[in-house]
Amino acid sequence: MNLVSIGINHRTAPLEVREKMWFSADEMRSILPTIRDRWFSECFLISTCNRTEIYGIPSAANGTLPAVDNVGQYLIDAKSARSFVNKHHLYSMHSAFAVSHLFRVASGVDSMVVGDVQILSQLKEGFNLAQEQRTIGIFLNRLAQSAYRVGKRARTESTIGEGAVSISYAAVELAGKIFENLSKKSALLVGAGETGELTARHLTGKGIGRLFVTNRTRSKAEELVASLGGSVSDFDQWTTTMNEVDIVISSVESPQPIIMASQLANVMRKRSNRPLFIIDIGVPRNVEPSANAIENIFLHDLDALNGIVDQNLDKRKSEIPRVNGIILEGLKEFYGWYSSLEVTPTIADLHNHFEEIRQNEVTKNANRFSSANDRELLELVTKRIVNKLLHVPTTMLKNGHEESDEIKRKRIHILRALFGLNKDADKHS
Amino acid sequence: MIDILNGALPLLYAGTVWLYARAFFSDAPVAKKIKTPVLIGTAIAHAGYLLLRTLTFQHPPITTTSEIMSLIAFCVAVAYAVTEILTKVKNTGYFILILSFFFQVVSTFFIQDLHEVKPILRSNLLGIHVSAALLGYTAISISAGYGFLYLMLYHNIKSNRFGVLYAKLPNLETLERMSFVSTVLGFFLITIAIIIGFVWLPKAYESFSYFDGKLIGTLVVWGLYGIGLVAKRMLGWQGRKIMILSLTGFVISVFSLTAINLFFSSFHNFY
Repeated sequence: MNLVSIGINHRTAPLEVREKMWFSADEMRSILPTIRDRWFSECFLISTCNRTEIYGIPSAANGTLPAVDNVGQYLIDAKSARSFVNKHHLYSMHSAFAVSHLFRVASGVDSMVVGDVQILSQLKEGFNLAQEQRTIGIFLNRLAQSAYRVGKRARTESTIGEGAVSISYAAVELAGKIFENLSKKSALLVGAGETGELTARHLTGKGIGRLFVTNRTRSKAEELVASLGGSVSDFDQWTTTMNEVDIVISSVESPQPIIMASQLANVMRKRSNRPLFIIDIGVPRNVEPSANAIENIFLHDLDALNGIVDQNLDKRKSEIPRVNGIILEGLKEFYGWYSSLEVTPTIADLHNHFEEIRQNEVTKNANRFSSANDRELLELVTKRIVNKLLHVPTTMLKNGHEESDEIKRKRIHILRALFGLNKDADKHS
Repeated sequence: MIDILNGALPLLYAGTVWLYARAFFSDAPVAKKIKTPVLIGTAIAHAGYLLLRTLTFQHPPITTTSEIMSLIAFCVAVAYAVTEILTKVKNTGYFILILSFFFQVVSTFFIQDLHEVKPILRSNLLGIHVSAALLGYTAISISAGYGFLYLMLYHNIKSNRFGVLYAKLPNLETLERMSFVSTVLGFFLITIAIIIGFVWLPKAYESFSYFDGKLIGTLVVWGLYGIGLVAKRMLGWQGRKIMILSLTGFVISVFSLTAINLFFSSFHNFY
């Protein structure tokens, strides 16, 4: 397959370069038709914070060798990024390598954070945009479907996308291992650090029942509440609030612990020993570490959460061989379809299909012809009709040497779809 | 046939437990796929075994401790299978079914074939007494299983060990709830068994004694669970303390069912 992929990603360029090559949906809408008209018969573009890649089938006018430099340069110019991006940041892949690369991207194996769950929806967005702009046809449509299937299988049949890979999400995952239903729980965010805010945001996303925010500077707490929801709690009262909540996220800048174990022992008595999950993301730590020895207090600091993240990343990496197997199956399936678009097997499938119909009809109606001679004549006549019907399509398929490979395959694809030959092929495979 | 099934059941349970372990610890796809059907197959074989015993010896399999243990193994397996199907929590099988394996192994090794049973064993009240006790013990076995899982996960989370148990087990509150529901059910059923036992048994047995080992064991278990339920309700006990209490009750109940019966004479022994 004459597929080309040209792009830039986290392996070839640092963030400050990649971000210059990020295309919004509107930008993609405006450049896709131009790229298709100049270089490709079909194309689509994917753009995320870690990669921008274009996949295309070179048009007949451009021959089999795509103008990689030209397409790359066009993308750079479209973003006015000549002073940041050069051709060394770009890479290109062809044929099976490009197909395989797309499947690796879809399955999250090629992501910066292995198993990234967002990439599949970003891929879908790219395909949809190309469909909307009518820049993809038979081949890339099928390729996109196959890539999407591979991506979905990777997520359902392996654990490559499982486990938190950020500190804030690891904290929420941990909360989910202690509490059954976060919507019946409440949380208190102490301080306004970035990770703390992100953790609170994830908790809100998971439907936490109530959220209290407290800060030395009340206006900062109010700002956070305006964006996260919940209510502001007085900073000098926050130990009292701990009696009521189930989760405490603490990220206060303080040279020494601000919550002592003895205080927490009192808190636990007042809250009838209900479990209390404390996420201490302050540096230095906000909570006296010995508090973890108190029954039903689950105290976790940055090191513990980092441990979860590292472990999850290792687990995701260990799933790569399993996902590679899924990719291989996807490649086999895709190339199985692509090979079915060859002339000889299509002619054979077409003849078999018609012959099957002919034989069925002859068998059904054989009783109406009493003598052996009549039945022989029936065979002969129906065979002749079928051969005559198939003569023109067969000749059309055999000729056309002057046409490009892609046009021939497109014609075969239409013919197979028209007579339902793909269903037959799937049945036999 | 009975002997073949008696010998095969520990192997079937071992195979089932092994599949659940492979699914839990190694994420083995084949084990994940076939573990539940194999469990159902094992339970069917076990049901066949119990039915065969009933037909062959002309009495339900509740006349000896070993028969009762086999019944408990069966009840635990069925109760777990139903729970798994209803709750879709499929990761705890290894830790619960190992109880079935344990009970069945003990039963297989010590079981005796009683062709003649005492007339008293044909009493309906005894049937209710034994059934209630049996189901009660099944419930507290399951409660203990979930209690054990709770304690393992509790200590793993506390000590920042985020391995297989952390990844695969349900959350602490779910484990505590599952254990608590089983405890309440077990307590209720054992209460019925005790009431019937106290009202009816002194009249039925000439040799009845309030100092019988199994009776004392059962009362201790019942008392412990009662204390646990009251403490949970009145004193707000929860989590680790309650789970330790549940496990202690289970250990005493196993001791009362096995060691006391094997090593002490009692009117509760029927062979």
